[in-house]
Amino acid sequence: MSESTPIIEIRDVGKAYGKGSAQVVALNSVNLDITSGELNVLIGPSGCGKSTLLYLMAGFEKPTQGEILLDGTIIDRPGPDRGFVFQDYALFPWKTVLGNVMFGLINNGWSKREAREVALEYINLVNLDGFEHAYPHTLSGGMKQRVGIARALAYDPKVLLMDEPFGALDAQTRKYMQQELVRVWEKTGKTVVFVTHSVIEAVFLADRIIVMTARPGTMKGCVEVDLPRPRDYTGRSYLAIREEVLDLLEEEVARSLQR
Amino acid sequence: MRVGVDQERLEGMSPRKRVNRGLIRAREFLFPFLVVGLSWELLVRFQVIGLRTLPPPSAILVEFWDLVWNKGVLIHHLSRSLYRLTIGYLLAVGLGIAVGTLLAVRKTLREMFMPILSMLISVPTIAWVPVLLITIGLGDNTVVTAIFLGGFFAIAYNTMRGIEMVNKDQVNAARLMGVSGVKLFASVLLPGSLVSIITGLRLGIGYSWRALVGGEMLSALVEWGIGKMIYQARFWNSVAVMFVGLMVISVSGLLLDRVLLKWLEKETVERWGMLAER
Repeated sequence: MSESTPIIEIRDVGKAYGKGSAQVVALNSVNLDITSGELNVLIGPSGCGKSTLLYLMAGFEKPTQGEILLDGTIIDRPGPDRGFVFQDYALFPWKTVLGNVMFGLINNGWSKREAREVALEYINLVNLDGFEHAYPHTLSGGMKQRVGIARALAYDPKVLLMDEPFGALDAQTRKYMQQELVRVWEKTGKTVVFVTHSVIEAVFLADRIIVMTARPGTMKGCVEVDLPRPRDYTGRSYLAIREEVLDLLEEEVARSLQR
Repeated sequence: MRVGVDQERLEGMSPRKRVNRGLIRAREFLFPFLVVGLSWELLVRFQVIGLRTLPPPSAILVEFWDLVWNKGVLIHHLSRSLYRLTIGYLLAVGLGIAVGTLLAVRKTLREMFMPILSMLISVPTIAWVPVLLITIGLGDNTVVTAIFLGGFFAIAYNTMRGIEMVNKDQVNAARLMGVSGVKLFASVLLPGSLVSIITGLRLGIGYSWRALVGGEMLSALVEWGIGKMIYQARFWNSVAVMFVGLMVISVSGLLLDRVLLKWLEKETVERWGMLAER
């Protein structure tokens, strides 16, 4: 874990959709460094382009301005040095849990036997033993997302990108999944970029919270969260940081609503 | 979904109950046929409708037995038809899926060829047959081509639509894991669009059947085939034979759909829970 060189460098990145008068600017000159091994949370009012920024890091879309570097190389397409966890899971319904987790391994040079072994390890890591041969549609939302996490981690990407992964879950499951994520992150030591609009979630998870402005999205500020883990949702320092983030956000939410 | 629930209920039943349930179902299925058949029989026998040439169902059944057993020709007609159908339909499936995929993934191709496809999709296949008779000939090839044309457009169109509607994030996930090209098609686009493709296969086999019957009737060099059998019955004034032909067509159509396509659906999209989403 080298503190000096960031694993992801976002340099003056902008993204606009459409042309002429119909053009919508989603992101405007974003500059950001992501440090290796940290759990980063991106937060901002809805429509601020935080998910767009994540899609640019994944290479699903291309920036219309600036560039993003992963480990010194410009990202210009999707690739297996990144893992992605989707808001609506995006599992392959025609594959079993095992098949889903093996997918990235099989397609990146692992032999079938090795892939199976590794996949089973990750299924175990996310506590889904016994569900290897279940099809996704038979699983609950929380279980589906655990498959999503296992699938994204199994082929050992450099970074894990997560797009509001717990947004569709009920409050209890959501809390549980947050604790699970911290456990898995501590075990794997992956660099994580996690998008959410929940301040409670952000402060519980993050080493660093990156606050974005209303559209067109850009950096508003960063809040370092130096709380020991496991965290609870009520401590005095926890609440203090929550207030700090909320203050930053409030202006932006107000701005986004005025339009 | 409903079938799945029924299945579970069935598995919890004793064999005797299961047989009983099967009998009830068979009764429910046969009852309407009995009602229609019996009224038809009575209406004709007592001359309520004055169509002297319309045979009663009993005469049709006798004719059916005659064609199956005494004359033994029905099986020849049917096997010849099914042979043509197999070739024409498989061609339609292969090319339909290929063309549909190409149009879905290549935007320029779609913009170029979509107008032609939309125009041709509305042409009744039977309208093609005279053209085929002159350009291709009066024999089997014309019938097979008609069957192909009948199925092709529905399959191509539904494949295209299905692939366009595949979940974008599933495609993103696969691309992130290094999958593209033919591999992406086989591992994501094809299974992801199977619900729609099966709809195309269903429509396609219906249109193919229609084209088959029409094609056989109009192709002079074709001697055997269900369509031919119906058409030739004109010369002997045998309406009963025509009705046997109609019966065979409807029953085989139903069987192909229920046995082949229903099975495919059950083993794939239903098992994967993809039907409930729509």
